[in-house]
Amino acid sequence: MMPVVEVSNISKSFGNLRVLKDISFDVRPGEVHALLGENGAGKSTLIKIISGVLQPDGGEIKVEGDVVRFASPRDARHTGIATVYQELLLFPELTVAENVYLGHAPRTKWRTLDWQAMRAGARALLDSLDSHDLDVDTKVGLLSVANRQRVEIAKALSQDARLVIMDEPTAALADADAKRLLSVVRRLRERGVGIVYVSHRMPEIFALADRVTVLRDGAFIGTKPIGEVTEASLVSMMVGRSIDQLFPKVATAVGETILEMKNVSYRNVVNNISLKLRAGEIVGIAGLIGSGRTETALTIFGITPATGGEILIDGKPVTIDSPATARSHGIAYVPEDRGLQGLIKPQTIRENVSLAILDRLAKLLVVDRRREGALARESIARFGIRARGAEQLVRQLSGGNQQKVVLAKWIATEPRVLIMDEPTRGIDVGAKAEIHALMSKLAGQGLAVLMISSELPEVLGMSDRVLVMRGGAIVAEFDRAEATPDAVGAAMTAAGKHAVAELAS
Amino acid sequence: MTLRSFLRHETILLILLVIALIILAQQSDKFFTTDNLLNQGRLMAEVGLLALPMTFVIVTGGIDLSVGSIFGLSAILLGVFWHGLGIPLPVAMVLAVLVGGVAGLGNGLIMTRFNVPPLIATLATLALYRGLAEGISQARSVRGYPEWFFVLGQGEVLGLPTQLWFLFGLAIAAAAVLGLTTFGRTTYAIGANEVAARFSGLNVARTKLIIYATSGLIAGLAAVIFVSRVSTTRSDMGTGLELDVITAVVLGGTSIFGGKGTIIGTILGLVLMQVMKSGLALAGVKGDGTIVVIGVVLIAAILLGNLLSRNGDG
Repeated sequence: MMPVVEVSNISKSFGNLRVLKDISFDVRPGEVHALLGENGAGKSTLIKIISGVLQPDGGEIKVEGDVVRFASPRDARHTGIATVYQELLLFPELTVAENVYLGHAPRTKWRTLDWQAMRAGARALLDSLDSHDLDVDTKVGLLSVANRQRVEIAKALSQDARLVIMDEPTAALADADAKRLLSVVRRLRERGVGIVYVSHRMPEIFALADRVTVLRDGAFIGTKPIGEVTEASLVSMMVGRSIDQLFPKVATAVGETILEMKNVSYRNVVNNISLKLRAGEIVGIAGLIGSGRTETALTIFGITPATGGEILIDGKPVTIDSPATARSHGIAYVPEDRGLQGLIKPQTIRENVSLAILDRLAKLLVVDRRREGALARESIARFGIRARGAEQLVRQLSGGNQQKVVLAKWIATEPRVLIMDEPTRGIDVGAKAEIHALMSKLAGQGLAVLMISSELPEVLGMSDRVLVMRGGAIVAEFDRAEATPDAVGAAMTAAGKHAVAELAS
Repeated sequence: MTLRSFLRHETILLILLVIALIILAQQSDKFFTTDNLLNQGRLMAEVGLLALPMTFVIVTGGIDLSVGSIFGLSAILLGVFWHGLGIPLPVAMVLAVLVGGVAGLGNGLIMTRFNVPPLIATLATLALYRGLAEGISQARSVRGYPEWFFVLGQGEVLGLPTQLWFLFGLAIAAAAVLGLTTFGRTTYAIGANEVAARFSGLNVARTKLIIYATSGLIAGLAAVIFVSRVSTTRSDMGTGLELDVITAVVLGGTSIFGGKGTIIGTILGLVLMQVMKSGLALAGVKGDGTIVVIGVVLIAAILLGNLLSRNGDG
């Protein structure tokens, strides 16, 4: 059978960073083809190329045998490729029917909008997706995320989509809604539509997919029929590399407990977290997006102060109600989103590095420029920041060097607890290794490091202990020796707690 | 940061100012007289005072539309406290200034407690404070202030109009606070990236409260000076004043998006605006024409500034 879409030898680079190398991939009609890989493996880039958002540097795309070049998402839509994005692109103030037919509405012979045909068409499409309960006259803004997704799928069908790309469609859904979505996907498959399905949830992939393709670091690892793989073999395909060589974790003497959390909660996002962080130790938190890892960090750091439980520093209970109090207790947080939360990009390295200790650099409220300049130059040397000098603007630096500036800013506060959230996201391999070496060195100097990462190899390679979070709670804990990719990966995705208990024992 | 780019914008302003002065001096021989210059200084003092805290406000990425209304409210209350309630005039003056501060603090609280954007919060209080002023005054004006009170608005100290001493003193203080202190740094950081400022442990809410409260406080002070200058109190005082203030600040190179701006720039913008106003008036241009010219110069200054800073940063 001729594939709906076939890509061969696709490559893509952003600047010097190669994100896709020679990827070949095809989807047949009536097939659910799962696309797997860690964050940063290149899944999103591949999807964006197939849907016309990005143009490949090399390779070709064929739709039903014909070579095509997409200059825009519009071109891709015209050839029958529809994408259901994580962030839904519907108009909340328009009705379901209007959204479904936006841009290609049926017309009457007077060239006015044919409302009846539109409503009837939308009704028929939704019925074909087993969504009889959805009213075509409801404003989309009033619908739940799950229902909006169905509207978006109906919209794809209304354009005669032959390939539907679904990027983590169930990530934001509760279990029941996710199950319904799966049946919708099956309906699509029965109609002969090809489906590219991206998800981190293993059970879904086994329930749904016909074939699986795994990407890692932008390279094609393999395409297999679902019958030939197991959860374990998929995880090892995804993680793959020999971790110990990449992450030079130095064994250090673990000291006293510095930070302790006892049943700490924040609303219903962080649920009864208890953990201990000791001096010289790197504790990694693994988990999927939305599992509550960053939320926990934000609670420790006082951005979203705890609504329940107790945080202790050196065994004494403390109240952390703002980043300033967290800082005064020796807690530093290198945030997830460098550009938004970590840096003041239009300002210089000097101004960024001093930001968290301005008070200490000031005499009678006047900032001491000499000491500030000295701090900046010292930071540049100590962290190996490649820049023209302390007065260079931060936005002109590369991602890795920007991250070093954030790290320098927080190390200047002389913290005892360092929380690093996605410390190497979007950073090239060389700078990544430098950040890892710095982290290891800081732990060696007696800092307690809490590291959150979506890259399993990073968590496993850097951590003395690994905690796994799901649904805002810690669901498993592994020592460095026990923390295998399979065990941690399974705990991250497992549907029930039994699986975790088995793996942890 | 980008001290160079600030200086560049200020250089443009200085050149524009010199050009304006040359043209105006040729147009009218009355322009370059000590009397006229001092009088112009007197006229720009109130807008100038308000422009100082407004520079802080706009550097944080905010806006304060209510300063004209706070100005009117403080002016009215000065008359009411003294004439209506019989409070001694010096005490009434202090109270009028404090009322301004409380009104500004109200703005700050609305923004920081309820997360209302500055534009909306101060648009609401623009109406609210003006309405209060009109309700309190009942369209009556207060006159008959004692002679010593006019020293503030009509007198001179060491040959210079009294209010210019206030303006110079506060301008120097504001420039020092914005340029040298941790508070100034925090102000820039909030404007350039409020989230990162918060994540760096800076006290964003407190800084904003102080800035908006100061804006109100200075509006109160300017109102007292204004009442002294015009010898009377009415409820429509200061209507539309906020637009002159914002124009001076933006003309001075402060970015409406926040994170950029200086007090020196604001002062230059203020002087340029006043010079154009008075010069055009002397040259016989009517009020409407003046506004048009100011608008054109504002757009030209901003475009030139953008052009230069883009080239500079690469």
